[in-house]
Amino acid sequence: MTVTHRLTRIAFGLSFGLAFACAQAATTVTVASFPSFDEAVKAAIPLYKKARPDVEIKLVSLAFGDHHNAMTTALATGTNLPDVMAVEVGFIGKFAESGGLEDLSKAPYNAAQYRTKFAKFTFPQAMGGVGNVAAMPADIGPGALFYRKDLLEKAGISEADLTKSWDSFLESGKKLKASSGAYLLSNAVDLKDIYIRTGLKDGEGIYFDSKGKVLVNSPRFEKAFALAKAARTAGIDAKIAAWSPEWSEGFKRNQVATQMMGAWLAGHFAQWLAPNTKGNWRSAQLPNGGFASWGGSFYAIPKAAANKKEAWEFIKFMTLNKEMQIEAFRKLDAFPALVEAQNDPFLDQPIEFLGGQKARQLWKVAADKIPAVAVDKFDGTAQDIVNAELDKVLEQNKDIKTALADAQTQIEKRVRRKK
Amino acid sequence: MSVTSSDSPAASELAVSPPRRRRKLQAWEWAPYLFISPFFILFLVFGLFPLLFSMWLAFQTWDPSTGLQGMEWVGIENFKFVLEDDWFQKSLYNTFWIAIVSGLPQHLVAIPLAYFAHTYLRKHRNTVVGVYFLPFITSTVAIALVWNSLFSRDYGVINMALTSIGNLSIAGMHPLAWLFPTSNVDWAQPQYTKWMISSLVFWRYVGWNTVLYLSALQTIPRDLYEAATIDGATSRQQFWHITVPLLRPMMFFAVTLTIIGNLQLFEEPFIITGGTGGINQAGKTAAMHMYNTAFVDSDFGTASAVAWILFLIIGLMTWANNKFFAQKD
Amino acid sequence: MAAVRKRVSPSRWLAYGIVALGGVIMLAPFWFMFVFATHTNTEILSVPPPLWFGSAFLDNVRLLIEKLPFFWRNLGLSFFIAFSVTVLNLFFCSLAGYAFAMYHFKFRESLFAVIMATMMLPAFIFMIPTVLIMSAIGWMNEAKALIVPGACGAFGIFMMRQFIGTAIPKELVEAARIDGCSEFGIFWRIVLPLVTPALGSLGLITFIGAWNNFAGPLVIMRDMDMFTVPLALRALQGTGQVPWGAISAGSAIAVLPLMVLFVIASRRLIEGLTSGAVKG
Repeated sequence: MTVTHRLTRIAFGLSFGLAFACAQAATTVTVASFPSFDEAVKAAIPLYKKARPDVEIKLVSLAFGDHHNAMTTALATGTNLPDVMAVEVGFIGKFAESGGLEDLSKAPYNAAQYRTKFAKFTFPQAMGGVGNVAAMPADIGPGALFYRKDLLEKAGISEADLTKSWDSFLESGKKLKASSGAYLLSNAVDLKDIYIRTGLKDGEGIYFDSKGKVLVNSPRFEKAFALAKAARTAGIDAKIAAWSPEWSEGFKRNQVATQMMGAWLAGHFAQWLAPNTKGNWRSAQLPNGGFASWGGSFYAIPKAAANKKEAWEFIKFMTLNKEMQIEAFRKLDAFPALVEAQNDPFLDQPIEFLGGQKARQLWKVAADKIPAVAVDKFDGTAQDIVNAELDKVLEQNKDIKTALADAQTQIEKRVRRKK
Repeated sequence: MSVTSSDSPAASELAVSPPRRRRKLQAWEWAPYLFISPFFILFLVFGLFPLLFSMWLAFQTWDPSTGLQGMEWVGIENFKFVLEDDWFQKSLYNTFWIAIVSGLPQHLVAIPLAYFAHTYLRKHRNTVVGVYFLPFITSTVAIALVWNSLFSRDYGVINMALTSIGNLSIAGMHPLAWLFPTSNVDWAQPQYTKWMISSLVFWRYVGWNTVLYLSALQTIPRDLYEAATIDGATSRQQFWHITVPLLRPMMFFAVTLTIIGNLQLFEEPFIITGGTGGINQAGKTAAMHMYNTAFVDSDFGTASAVAWILFLIIGLMTWANNKFFAQKD
Repeated sequence: MAAVRKRVSPSRWLAYGIVALGGVIMLAPFWFMFVFATHTNTEILSVPPPLWFGSAFLDNVRLLIEKLPFFWRNLGLSFFIAFSVTVLNLFFCSLAGYAFAMYHFKFRESLFAVIMATMMLPAFIFMIPTVLIMSAIGWMNEAKALIVPGACGAFGIFMMRQFIGTAIPKELVEAARIDGCSEFGIFWRIVLPLVTPALGSLGLITFIGAWNNFAGPLVIMRDMDMFTVPLALRALQGTGQVPWGAISAGSAIAVLPLMVLFVIASRRLIEGLTSGAVKG
């Protein structure tokens, strides 16, 4: 009997202890994110634990597309919502308009006061049509050119050859192909994607102006399509879709020599795209003196979230805390949205993967010159339609002007219905 | 599926016939209702109610995050939009394309295969049929993922096999180059995506149809063939004049299943195209279009309209198939 | 070749060859799945791809667990859901099938016709309303949302009615009733033990269907720790770097239980599946 008695006491003690522990860590904040942006949260968990031992951070991570689909459904049905929701810039317009996110400009958040603390263009992106602030910016994506120094040097191509003008960029591609058989681009579509992001006026979006007018049938897109077409005709692209399995293999096997995207791509390169090519890559500004914004991430609080107060505390930690912003910069090359972090001496440190280049300074220059790009809830739709038309131009020789006119009509049709 | 009528009235009623009026309800009188009630309760809650709700929804525009009061009646606007929508039309075209390209060969292969297995195989019949049937029971997702790696442009087994046939050199000539590719095919390109999906669908269901036809063949009396042999009919004549006509009912049944199944194709294209439908939506089926409209665009009203239009089309095709097979009798 | 009794014509040999070649093609994807499961990504993505087993299986499993930290849990959840659905279906479907086969009651034919008619409803039509209803009753992201609605399928009722109707003499039921057996007692103690072969077939069919279900979990489950195996495997897609070795290993793990079941009971399974077609 004594044994049973003792067991009971132990069990009682245990459950009491557990209950106590539970009371201590009563608040769990669920954060939904996607790779590799979720690395920032992973890095934050131990740091946050030190500052707030009473709060448990639970990270829920899904693949990029799956995450945003799941969030769309969650917002629509009001179920399965996390406390903190990571949102990529391509979706922020749609989510900000959905009405399912807390307006952070109101009390108790009063987020509008922080506006000046962030890179000037990023805060407006998270604002909905009625002046609501739907999310807080975490990182931004200054567009950058990454190139394989070793491969290009062997072919006698310098960085200046790449960046001088688009023509010299294409010429370099031909030269590289002729001398080594390697491709300059993974896909001609990349040229279109980077070009439509350059030369934007402040307040103008990629596909829509601030009043929602479709901008696709325009010289900017015409030039972008023509560039892509020229690259395809010259045979300097490997015809590999970004984020496909072949993409990573192309880099790993020295078949693709450049890639233009957001500066955050450096982190992807080092982690999984081509870790074996460490030290051979360099970063440069975009060709033809262009500056573009590519990517960027935000944190939002759903209206139906269970734990808004702690969610907000955590978001502030992720976005307004300089150390945390630098940590994310270090871990995944997420360029900080916080201006204070952009001016940190950390930017002077060399990046090992880029052969010791102090590339962060370069990206800072770009970040300062990026215009304020407006986002629209139909950006995703427009992007799909434009990409489909570009594929017709590249693969089936469709006339560029016709393709753009078709794209414009299709986008307008879809937008008109949902307005 | 006729309901057998031989077993009524139940023996129990004859044996113990209770007084007609004001009697106590016997257990065997109410028990059957209790026994069948689980299905009907579940169907009412998770079947009929959702169906009616989705029918209602098809006439609304609705952002679910605004709650039920956010619904707005729009009449047939959703249906009108869907029918005129080139994305839906394209998805419907893809659906039919895949349904035919994957469906027709299923039956053209399954019937002779079943006939062969039935007529010429004894000891190894179950093994052979089992091998062909195995894909049917495997996880679509798992195997579709494997499909993606087999069809990889630069590293896939399929391209390797096809190009090695295409580049087959006999005395300096490439006799098969006109039929087979000589360089790697990019299966993600719009003109090839549907072939890739169809090959998976064919692979998965050809064994199922073989099994269906085999089970029908087993019901054909052997003496019919024996009589035909005595009359001097060749085995080819026997196939066309005995087997095929007697297989007609099963053909109808199997083709109906294929139509119903292929027109609601979702998982195979979903996995193969990574949920996007592929470049230029070349691999997006109608069911995928419905899914995307609801769960990517959050337009549940329009998505419900897509669902019902697709349902009507499936009903129509089933009816047409019925007509086709009934006509020749 | 002792089995060959008659003279075999060349065309027959050709037919044997074609059927054998077809069989090889049918099995090839499985072969590559198992082979790839034992190779690293670099080995798989090489020309020519590996055709024989390698040594990286454990590494692939490790990678799989790294990418899908809840994979074993996902496997357990898949099993739990499939098992629950199977047990519930066996009970409810045989109960309803018994009622339809052995009782004469008002509206029997029309109620059965209703059940048959529901089989014609395509699954996708339920997708959207189910999500909305599960959200409304708070069942999203929970296993019961996948178990309860599928607890009693129309096909199972049809199959059990056919089987009970042909396998059980009415006199047996009648005799039990005269002996004072309750209505449920007759079903539980007399009918059920006699229809175990049919229960086996139905159980297999239901289990496989539930195990492979993708569209249901896709719209219901939100968190990775609540994913079923197909959903978890799919989550490996679209992460940029697709770990083919790990995917193949995971796929093999997902498919292997079914293959084992199939090898053990393929005849019963096929008979069960075609029972509706032949007798209908």
